[in-house]
Amino acid sequence: MPPLTTGRGPRLTEQMHLDDAAAVAKATGGDEDAFRVLVERHSRSVYRLAYRMTGRAEDAEDVVQETFVRAYKQLARFESRSNFATWLYRIGFNCAIDYLRARPKRETGEAHEELDRRPIRADGPTMDDLVFAGEVGARLQQALSTLSAQERAAFLMRHYHGYSIEEICGALELKTNAAKHSIFRAVRKMRVALRPLMDRGSALSTL
Amino acid sequence: MTHPTDDELVLHFYGEHAPAERTRIDAHLGGCAACQSLWDEIGRTLTAAGDADVPEPPAGFERVMWARVSAALPPRTSPWSWRALVPLTSFGALAIALAMGGRTPAPEPPALQTAEATPSRDAERLEARERALFTALDGHLAQTEMLLIELMNGPDRATSDFGFARTTAEDLVASGRLYRATAESTGNRRVAAVLEDLEPVLVEVARGPEQVNSATVRSLRERIDDEGLLFKVRAVTPEPRDR
Repeated sequence: MPPLTTGRGPRLTEQMHLDDAAAVAKATGGDEDAFRVLVERHSRSVYRLAYRMTGRAEDAEDVVQETFVRAYKQLARFESRSNFATWLYRIGFNCAIDYLRARPKRETGEAHEELDRRPIRADGPTMDDLVFAGEVGARLQQALSTLSAQERAAFLMRHYHGYSIEEICGALELKTNAAKHSIFRAVRKMRVALRPLMDRGSALSTL
Repeated sequence: MTHPTDDELVLHFYGEHAPAERTRIDAHLGGCAACQSLWDEIGRTLTAAGDADVPEPPAGFERVMWARVSAALPPRTSPWSWRALVPLTSFGALAIALAMGGRTPAPEPPALQTAEATPSRDAERLEARERALFTALDGHLAQTEMLLIELMNGPDRATSDFGFARTTAEDLVASGRLYRATAESTGNRRVAAVLEDLEPVLVEVARGPEQVNSATVRSLRERIDDEGLLFKVRAVTPEPRDR
């Protein structure tokens, strides 16, 4: 993370050392520098979450901004014994859901068929190369884009953020079965979307 | 023998089963090649999905995001915080400029009322004006910095929409001129010089087209960079203790 202090003086430098709970306490009392520390500390991780939800950098940035604005308005409701990042991600997922519901549906990536038509070169990349080249990411994003915002959030919460089914139900106000089915549906889509890569990876690894 | 379903294996992957169920499924996988193969496939897929990269935001993302967030936050405690002043830059500058001219007494912020008395009335007035300048200038400079950061770090596209930047730059040009006059009249030559340096770039944005091509954006960025405008703005931004 880049230094926060450029052109900002010693006060912000001091705030940088605050842990999340202390920064929240100060920010709740109206200390903007303390809130800035929280924004600068967590904006990248919220961005990743938002990007996975929206599939577009510009949309992800809007979601990050809205997440912190909502968090600021709700700071007084944050319970100090909770984990700030978990609390923030919850807000982030709900912002992303609202954002996706308001956004007109559009294509977010190449269709599976399009991806499947890409030639496999004999001297092609290894499975690791494919992963790093982002092909998995592209297919994943394509698969996610076919899910509802709520299904997408449930899967991402479980898969990338380690929320339990019970926690997902609390965060998204879902019944247990609905949360489970969102995840099952997402995983089925993942399996279909990634199958060609999995097969290719297995074939290449046996060469 | 009951084979676990795909969905049960997904829950197994995520560790959602109770210990007894976990043990049962593990035991079954050990003795059933078909289920083991399915389990491997689900595991490989979900692991690959977990490794998928998300493009990183550009360098300086945190600062840009703070600029965006801080501009969107509602006023919280003091109505005199810089954020409350941002939308009032033109009005604030006008009020201060009028106060400097002595024609209209500008309302003083609460903080100024507690200022210590100085021996000379003129010196006291000058100090009050200087403080008023710094208080309002903070908002102006914060907004200028935010605009420059957005110009420098915006996504590289063939055409960029400068609609919002134009409106902001227009406001900043108008308020900047008033602040500059105030800064000159109170002897703050450094602040006046920075405001003077900023004006041509702000005018260029304000008078430019709404849709800007990438070459224009590049040239604007080079200019901001070459002239060290961001650094200059930060250098004259008053620290909290100066306000």
